[in-house]
Amino acid sequence: MLVAGAGSIACGVALTGVRRAGIAVALLLQAAGTALVGAVGAVCLLDGRTVGAGFTSDLEPSLGVDPLSGLFLLLVALVAVPAALYAIPYLAGARRPRTLAALTGLFGLALAGVVTARDAVTFLALWEVMTLVPAAAILVARGDAPARRAVFEYLAVTRIGGAGVWVALLALAHHGALGDPAGLAAAGGGAQALVAVAGIVGFGTKAGLVPLHAWLPRAHPLAPSNVSAVMSGAMVSVALYGLARLLTGWPGGPPAWVGFTVLALGALSALTGILYAVFQADLKRLLAFSTIENAGIVTAALGAAALLEARGEARWAATALAAGLLHALAHALAKALLFLTAGSVERATGGLRIDAMGGLLGRMPATGGATLVGALALAGVPVLAGFASEWATLGALIELARADAVGTALAGALGAAALAATTGLAVVCFVALAGLALLGRPRGPGAAAATEVPGPMRWAPAALAAGCVALGVAPGPLMPALERLAPGGDGAEVAAGVGVPGASLPTLGAALALGGAAALLAVARGRRPRAAAPVWNCGQDAGRELAWTSAAFTKPLRLAFGGMLRPRRGVEVVARAGIVREIRHRGGVPHLFDSLLYGPTARAALAGAGAARRLQSGSIRQYIAALVGVVVLLLALARAGALG
Amino acid sequence: MRAADAAATAAQMAGLALAPLLPGGVQALKARLQGRRGPGVLQPYRELRRLWRRGTVDPEGSGAAYRWAPVAAAAALAVCVLVVPVGAWGTAWPAGHDALLLVGLLALARIAVALSAWDTGGGFGLMGASRELAFAVVGEALLVLVVLLAAIPAGSTDLRAMWEAGAGTGPWEDPARWCAALAMGLVVLLETGRQPIDNPDTHLELTMVHEGPLLEYAGRDLALLQWTAAARHWVVLVVAASLALPHPGDAAGGLAALALGVLALVGGLALVESWQAKMRLLRVPPTLLAGVAVALAGVVSAAWGAG
Repeated sequence: MLVAGAGSIACGVALTGVRRAGIAVALLLQAAGTALVGAVGAVCLLDGRTVGAGFTSDLEPSLGVDPLSGLFLLLVALVAVPAALYAIPYLAGARRPRTLAALTGLFGLALAGVVTARDAVTFLALWEVMTLVPAAAILVARGDAPARRAVFEYLAVTRIGGAGVWVALLALAHHGALGDPAGLAAAGGGAQALVAVAGIVGFGTKAGLVPLHAWLPRAHPLAPSNVSAVMSGAMVSVALYGLARLLTGWPGGPPAWVGFTVLALGALSALTGILYAVFQADLKRLLAFSTIENAGIVTAALGAAALLEARGEARWAATALAAGLLHALAHALAKALLFLTAGSVERATGGLRIDAMGGLLGRMPATGGATLVGALALAGVPVLAGFASEWATLGALIELARADAVGTALAGALGAAALAATTGLAVVCFVALAGLALLGRPRGPGAAAATEVPGPMRWAPAALAAGCVALGVAPGPLMPALERLAPGGDGAEVAAGVGVPGASLPTLGAALALGGAAALLAVARGRRPRAAAPVWNCGQDAGRELAWTSAAFTKPLRLAFGGMLRPRRGVEVVARAGIVREIRHRGGVPHLFDSLLYGPTARAALAGAGAARRLQSGSIRQYIAALVGVVVLLLALARAGALG
Repeated sequence: MRAADAAATAAQMAGLALAPLLPGGVQALKARLQGRRGPGVLQPYRELRRLWRRGTVDPEGSGAAYRWAPVAAAAALAVCVLVVPVGAWGTAWPAGHDALLLVGLLALARIAVALSAWDTGGGFGLMGASRELAFAVVGEALLVLVVLLAAIPAGSTDLRAMWEAGAGTGPWEDPARWCAALAMGLVVLLETGRQPIDNPDTHLELTMVHEGPLLEYAGRDLALLQWTAAARHWVVLVVAASLALPHPGDAAGGLAALALGVLALVGGLALVESWQAKMRLLRVPPTLLAGVAVALAGVVSAAWGAG
C-alpha cells in the first residue's frame, strides 16, 4: 500500500510534465497517493504495528513505518491532501502552474520519505530534498528580488541546521546507535553530548526554534499558499519528528541537561514567536510567527517528557509526549487551514494586509467560517483542537513543578507560566486577526468587493476545520495510541488529573455541557424585537478614519512589554502655509533578533570571508607553499599520534 | 447518594442562581463602609429582571459575533459554575473538575466578548476588550501558577483533590501557601473586574475595561452579560475560598467554612474597593508580574521544603 501510494504521487508528479494531461488530474493522483500513505500511517499508529525495516546503520537503503512514523505520515497526509485539492483551482491562477504542481507532489513525497527513511543516507538525502523543494517553489512562484533574498537567507540558515542533522545522524551511525539504543548508551558522554547538541541545532533550525528561527517568517509567507500550508503544517512537524525520535530513542531518557535545554528552547520560542506574531500587519507573516510559537509548545512538551522520564515518572512522561504530539497534530490542521484561507483571501481582496480586510465572514461565509475556526483553535479556545493538548501539556509541566529538586521544580513552574502567557498572547493575536479580517465592516476597497472563491478552495479549508473540531471534541481515542509511543508508556492508564475514566481527556463532556448550556440560553433569550442603532462613538460615525487597527488593539501589550520589544514610532506633521494638513503616524515593532543577533553575525561572517579572500592571491607559489605547510603539519600530527 | 453529597451538589447547582448575590453584597457593603445607604444586596436581581423585559438593540453593521457573544459567554460561565465544586463532595461531572478547564472557559468568555467588540467596531468596546485581553496575558500565567501551588500538595489539578489536600491544615503553616494566597488575591481582583484593577461602576468610557464592550448591549443580551459578570464573582470567590482559606475535612463543617470564607472575601473586596482608588492602566501588568514573582517564590519554597 505504501508503495502504491508513493507510486501514485510519483505518477502525479510525472503527469505534470506531460503537456496534454491536465494539472487537475495530476494533483488528484497526488492527493490519492498521499491519502493512501496516510492510511498506512494511521493503521500503524492505532494498531501499534511496524511495517518494513527497522532502523539500520548500514549503507543499504531501507524504508519502514513504526507507530511514531505512522503518526507523522498521518499528519503529512492530513495536511498535504487538502493542500493538493486546494491547489487545483488555486494554481490555475498562478505563475507556471505545471512546475508548481510538480513541486507540490515532490514536497509531499520528500516529507513522507523522511518519516519512513530507516538509514542515514536515505534520511539525509530526502531531508535535503525537503529543504530545497520549497526554495524552488518560492523562486518559481515569484522571481523578484525580495523573494530571491528570502530564499538565500532560508538556504543560508537551513545549511547550519542541515549540518547539525548530518553530524547527529552520522555520529549515531558511527556508534551503531541508529538501530539499537544500547549503542548510544555505550558510546560515552562526549558522543552523547555531540549527538544531542547537533540534533537540537539541526532539527531545531528546521522547526524554527529561537534563536535559529529568522528564516521561517521570511520564507513561509512567500511560497504559494498550498506550499506554505505544507511548509508550516507538515515540514515543521517533520522537524519535530526528528526531535521526538532523538529524545525518545535514548535508553532511560536523555541526560537532564538535554531535557532542560529543550524545555527552555521550547518555552522561549513559544513566547517570542507569539509576541512578534501579535504585531504583524501581514496575514501570512503573522501565521509564520505563530508557527514558531506552536513548534515551541511541542518542543516544551518534549522537553518535559524527557525530564519526567529521567525522573522515573514514566506515566507522566508518556502524557507529556502525547500532549506534545497531539499539539503538533492540532497545529498542523489549524495552520494548514489558515494558510489556505490566507491564499483565498489574498485572491479575493488583492492583498494580505490585515488592516485592509474586514467583514469577510459575511462576504465569504465558507472561507470566513473556516478561518474563524482555525484562529480560535490556535488561540486554544475550548473545545477546539489545541485546547486539549495545551491542557495536557500544562498538566505535565505542573507535575514537573512538584519535583523536590529546586531546579526542576522551577523549570516546570516557569514553563507552565510561559505556556499560560503564550496562550494569553495567542488569544490577543487571533482575536485581532479574526476581528480585523472577518468581522465588522470592510476596511478597504478590496474587502468590499470580495466574493467567495471556487469549490475546492472552499472545501479543503472546510474539511480541515471539521478536523479541528473533531480533534478538539474527542482526542480521547487518539491519546492512548500517542501515549504508547513513549518508551515507558503502555497506554493502559492515563495520568491522574488529566483524565477521568472512560475518556482520556474530558473535552467531550465539556463540549456537550457548553453546547447544552448555549442551546438552553439561546432558547431562553428567544426572539425579541431588535432595533437598529448607530454604534456609540461619542456621536461620530465609526467610519474608516475612526476604525480600529491592529496597532491600536495591541497597544496595551506594546506598552506593557515596551522595555523588551523596543517599539519604533514617529510622527510627521505636514504643514502648508502654516496650517497643519496631515499628521502621519508611523510605528512598528522591529524584530530585535535581526539587529542584535543576526546583523552582527552576518557582518562578522562577511569580515571573515574578506580576510580569507586575501589568501586567494592568484600566486601559484603561495598556494604550493600553503599546501606543503598543511601536509607537513598533518605528518607531524600523525607522527605524534594526535590523529588516532 | 448520602445527604451531604446531595447538599453539596445542590449548593453547586444553586451557584447559578446565587451568583448575583456576591456583586450585590459587595456593592451594599461598600456603600455602608462609605457611609451611604446604597442599594440592597438584591439589586442585581432587580436589574436582571428589568433588563429581561426590554427589547434588544443591534448596532448597524454588526453580525453573528455580536448576536452570539452573550450566549457563548454565559454558557462558558454556566459550565464554570457547575464544574467548580463546593467542597469535595457532590456529583462528579463528565467534564471533570480540573482547574485548568476553568482557565480555558474563562478565556472563552473573554474571547466571545472581545469578538463582539470587533463586530460592532466601536472605539470604546475595542478599547475595553484590548485592555482586558492584555491584562489576561499575565493574569492567566498568574492563575496557572496559583493552580500549580495548590496542586503541589494535592498531586493533581483536580479542584476536589485540592480541597481535600488543604483540609484540616492552616494556610499559615506553609510559606508556599502564603504566596499562593497573595497571588490568588490578585487573580480575584482581576477576574471580578474590581478596583484597583477595574471599576465595575464606571460611567466614563475612557476608563472602562470590562464594561467597555457591554456599552452597545441592551435587554436580554445585557442581562446575560451581567449574569456572566456575577458568575465570574462566584467562580473565583469559591475557588479562592477553597484554596486559600482554612477548612475542616468533613462535609457539613466544610460547607459552612466555605460559606464563611466566601462571605469574608466579599467583605474583603468591599474593603479594598473603599480604600483603594483605581490603578493607572500601565501599572496593572507590572503589579500582576509582581504576583507571578511571588508565586514563583512559593514554588521554590515548596521544592526546598520537600527536598
